[in-house]
Amino acid sequence: MKKNDLKSMGKSFTKYVLIIGALLILLDFTFHRHEYFSFAEIYGFPAFFGFVSFVFIVMLGKWLRKFLMRKEDYYDQ
Amino acid sequence: MISNFIPGLIMIITSFLLPTIPQYFRHPAMLLSVGLSALSLFNGYGTFLEWDILGLNLILYQSDSLTLPFAIIFHIAAILVIIFSWHSKNLMEHMATLAYAGSAIGALHAGDFFSLFIWWEATALTSVFIVFAGNTNTAKDAAMRYLIIQVSSGVLLLIGACLMLYQTGNHNLVVLDLKTNFGIFIFIAFGIKAAFPLLNGWLQDSYPESSVTGTVALSAFTTKLAIYALARTFPGTDSLIWIGAIMTAFPVFFAVIENDLRRVLSFSLNNQLGFMVVGIGIGTELSLNGTVAHAFVHIIYKALLFMSMGAVLYRAGTTKASELGGLYKYMPFTTIFCIIGAMSISAFPLFSGFVAKSLIMSSLGGMGMVLIYFILFFASAGVLEHSGIKIPYFAFFAHERKNKVKEAPINMLIAMGIAAFLCIAIGVFPKYLYQILPYAVEYQPYTLDHVISQLQLLVFAIIAFLFLVKFKLYPSEIRSTVLNSDWFYRKMLPGIGKPLFIKIGLLTDSLYKNLGLSFKQVLSKSYKFSNLSYIKVTTPSFAGTILISILFIMLVIVLV
Repeated sequence: MKKNDLKSMGKSFTKYVLIIGALLILLDFTFHRHEYFSFAEIYGFPAFFGFVSFVFIVMLGKWLRKFLMRKEDYYDQ
Repeated sequence: MISNFIPGLIMIITSFLLPTIPQYFRHPAMLLSVGLSALSLFNGYGTFLEWDILGLNLILYQSDSLTLPFAIIFHIAAILVIIFSWHSKNLMEHMATLAYAGSAIGALHAGDFFSLFIWWEATALTSVFIVFAGNTNTAKDAAMRYLIIQVSSGVLLLIGACLMLYQTGNHNLVVLDLKTNFGIFIFIAFGIKAAFPLLNGWLQDSYPESSVTGTVALSAFTTKLAIYALARTFPGTDSLIWIGAIMTAFPVFFAVIENDLRRVLSFSLNNQLGFMVVGIGIGTELSLNGTVAHAFVHIIYKALLFMSMGAVLYRAGTTKASELGGLYKYMPFTTIFCIIGAMSISAFPLFSGFVAKSLIMSSLGGMGMVLIYFILFFASAGVLEHSGIKIPYFAFFAHERKNKVKEAPINMLIAMGIAAFLCIAIGVFPKYLYQILPYAVEYQPYTLDHVISQLQLLVFAIIAFLFLVKFKLYPSEIRSTVLNSDWFYRKMLPGIGKPLFIKIGLLTDSLYKNLGLSFKQVLSKSYKFSNLSYIKVTTPSFAGTILISILFIMLVIVLV
């Protein structure tokens, strides 16, 4: 039991987040979401934007490591 | 009497008296001084103290609707820091912290550029001791660099103020623009403290090096003082919109790969300042309200996040993500408080970040600035990534921890508890925050459109995180240094300058030989080294030389 604590927490967390995510998308169909810019009113636009931005940030950050990452004692040398 | 006593001054006086006060009464005395200073908040608006000196009229104490919200939050931050550091016996740090907070509060009430300059430098000189209190060699080096940058900002401000007085005969804090040369000097002076792009290196360099409690104090005052100064003198300056937008987006990528969680928070601080700078750049009543509201809530949740990482550093001995994880079992309260801070900064509805950021986003939307709007929307996903997920995930979860640690001391928990309470209270009852904003604007953050839109963004960004972790695409933490704009003066300039310096020295050496004066001798005397090969040009002093020469050249150009 103890060994799987974090794992089971992660699993139930994932489950709830997915349920909430699905509900949010469904909610989008029940009313017209007013936005400042018309293209943002497409169904699920913020969700899509959030997902893509997040993946983009992490992937670009990971790639930037090539240029920006140095050893921990870089400035002491 | 007390009513025209400069707010904050009582805190500075108390800080000098602290050594005479017995250990057990120091923190109560500090709290008392903040309380006395806070009485000034009830004075209302107006000019309360002026001083005619050297033919100048200095406005030492004035207050208006822009001063008040900043003064309130600076007092709250001072109280939080004092409670958080209750366990500490570091006298130097306590003195520095109290004087620093007092100087920042004093600066808010300055009515002219010369008084502002004095407080501006006072915040630099007091806060450098807080960086120093990190008490490691890296902290001491960082403190010296910090001092040079901060004092340079002050010098630029002074040059700007002198030029302004010379050219216009006026030195009061008025709205400036970038068409005048003094305006540019003052703009850059503020820009350094507000950590504009490429001027930001000092922030991520110094803040994470300070002590457990010191970083909390540092995070609250300097940068927000700069935001206040910008909001007062440069509202509606178009270039600030782009500067701010770059500030929101850029630090996000650095924060993703940074290993030290307190440095991650420093990048995140930079990103938050970007939102405020955009608000100043738009310059409408709604957007300036947004900037002030954002600064107000930001100080609380950023302090909360730095406090939680301070507690982790205090108990686990490090804030390096690569060495942390699984602390939720041993520090449950700290975990909860950290998550509340994380949700506030990520702007979840019902948390304080949401009600403040909405003001800025709405003013952008209302103006039809589509590109900037989506840069900030994108940066919001970035905030969630580094502050909302990375900080709590790597510190408290990630993987099981082998050795036990204790929960944070009670005083830390109280300070974090108060901050967490404020984060939620402001999020649930935003009208109390809106009441103290500079302009009376009717605004309703909780519309169905807005809540759903924000929740979709955040929840699907979390789903993206879970997806990346599941498929092992999320970058693992690596012990490393991430290059930042401080690289230019820590590596590049010394790299070019050091050989050049020695070469010029050797050249002049032959010239001066006849005079019986050798460069080697002069250097070896002044550096107390016997041989040139031992001469080590230390980074701070070299960077200092460069900065001073740049300042000098700029001064010459302007005067000519």
